[in-house]
Amino acid sequence: MLKRFLLTGLLLAAMTSTAWAQRTITFASDCTWPPMEMISEDRECVGFGPDLVNAMAKAGGFEAVIQNTAWDGIFAGLAAGRYNAISSSVSITEERKNAMDFSDPYFEVKQGVVVQASSEIKSEADLAGKTLGAQIGTTGYFAAMRIAGNNAKSYDEVGLAITDLANGRLDAVIADDAVAADYALTHPEFSKNLTLAFLIEPDEPEYLGFAVKKGDTETLELINSALAAVKASGEYDQIFKKWFGGE
Amino acid sequence: MAEKKVVIDVGDGAALPRKQDQGLFNAWWIALIGALGIIAYLCISRPDPYWRVLKFLPDGIVVTFQVTILSILLALVLGLFTGLGRISKNRVINLIASTYVEVVRGIPLLVQLFYIYFALGQVFANLPDSNALFIFLKNMPPLVAAVIAMGICYGAYMGEVFRAGIQSIDHGQTEAARSLGFNRAQTMFYVILPQAWRTILPPVGNEFIALLKDSSLVSILAVSDILRRGREFASVTFNYFETYTMVALVYLVITLLLSKIVSTMEERLNYYERR
Repeated sequence: MLKRFLLTGLLLAAMTSTAWAQRTITFASDCTWPPMEMISEDRECVGFGPDLVNAMAKAGGFEAVIQNTAWDGIFAGLAAGRYNAISSSVSITEERKNAMDFSDPYFEVKQGVVVQASSEIKSEADLAGKTLGAQIGTTGYFAAMRIAGNNAKSYDEVGLAITDLANGRLDAVIADDAVAADYALTHPEFSKNLTLAFLIEPDEPEYLGFAVKKGDTETLELINSALAAVKASGEYDQIFKKWFGGE
Repeated sequence: MAEKKVVIDVGDGAALPRKQDQGLFNAWWIALIGALGIIAYLCISRPDPYWRVLKFLPDGIVVTFQVTILSILLALVLGLFTGLGRISKNRVINLIASTYVEVVRGIPLLVQLFYIYFALGQVFANLPDSNALFIFLKNMPPLVAAVIAMGICYGAYMGEVFRAGIQSIDHGQTEAARSLGFNRAQTMFYVILPQAWRTILPPVGNEFIALLKDSSLVSILAVSDILRRGREFASVTFNYFETYTMVALVYLVITLLLSKIVSTMEERLNYYERR
């Protein structure tokens, strides 16, 4: 009898330890970027990004933990090893490639320009000399700096920039198109006064990727193969449809 | 009424700390030379990124100075009136001053900044363009909002410092001044405050330094102070550690200069030690 108990115990221990042995990848995400990633009313990080990460975890056989992190310092945390990867709508840029490694692209973005509905800004040329806002460290902010120079203002969160725009202190806000459209078109407060004026035509396409610490090929390979599996199974398209409609 | 010069013996006054050690080997010089030395060493040994960060910061230093000095002035004025209000015998004035202190002291500065700039901004945005004040409020620059929020917040703290300083002066001073024919206001401004100032100055100096460092909070309003400039640099170059090191050192140097100004003022007012 005792033997049986011991054996069952051993078996259980073996099972749980294999479960533990399964690789856990911690993704950092700044969940203030709707609809890509945002905090739901149940205080969970939801959106296109988290759905994709969870689908990838299932397909790739690893456990995914999404850790809500402030955007400011999100890259520093990766370098310091606080998490294994970033899934926070990070655009792949040459400068960032110097500091971290990127997975295969998982999303194409364009920079959208949000303005007040009454605004006369209709094209990139109209933005010259205007006061532009964007979230610090985002490609939208880099675009704003390129266009407006010292008139570009950086905010901790894109929502603050949008609030300042709604209050009439900015002429336009530049952000990823999905985010810009979400604020301008579906947000109950802002959709009354704001509109997505146009998309900035990029010189070359801009893609989002998952960032990992420089040299962490093991995590990168896991992410890439899982991403490929999710795309191949058609699950990617389902998630896309769920968040962005039938495009 | 003929001008009369009145000489008042102010007695021994409150006990004062002894003068700091003189010469190069006091804490202040060690900190300043150390900070400047580290900055110089870093900039020379690794110009990229340290020197690049440092070249990026001066605009931010100017903004930080603007915010700090204007906020200090506003806080001093508010603090003085609050302190006087808190000891006033007029119950309405007393109640207003006390409520101001209790409410403002209980709300974090960050929340006050958010509220004054973003939340009130939503109210202001709906104002008609009917007069200059409305137009100004609508387009209130973030710097102005930052100064107002910080001045209001620190005014409450300074009010308590002023109150304590004024109350520390022996009541006999008031009685003496009143019996010499000073009215209440004259007693306060010619007799009590000049003495209280010596007691008030060290904690006020402390508030100055705290305010200077708290001015980094205004960066959430997209005001390009030192911290924001540093973050803007880091957000492009990803040199977070190096940037924050440099930002910390720059803040340290500025704070040291401010603390020197305060301690010099303390020594000037310290007429007993000097005698």
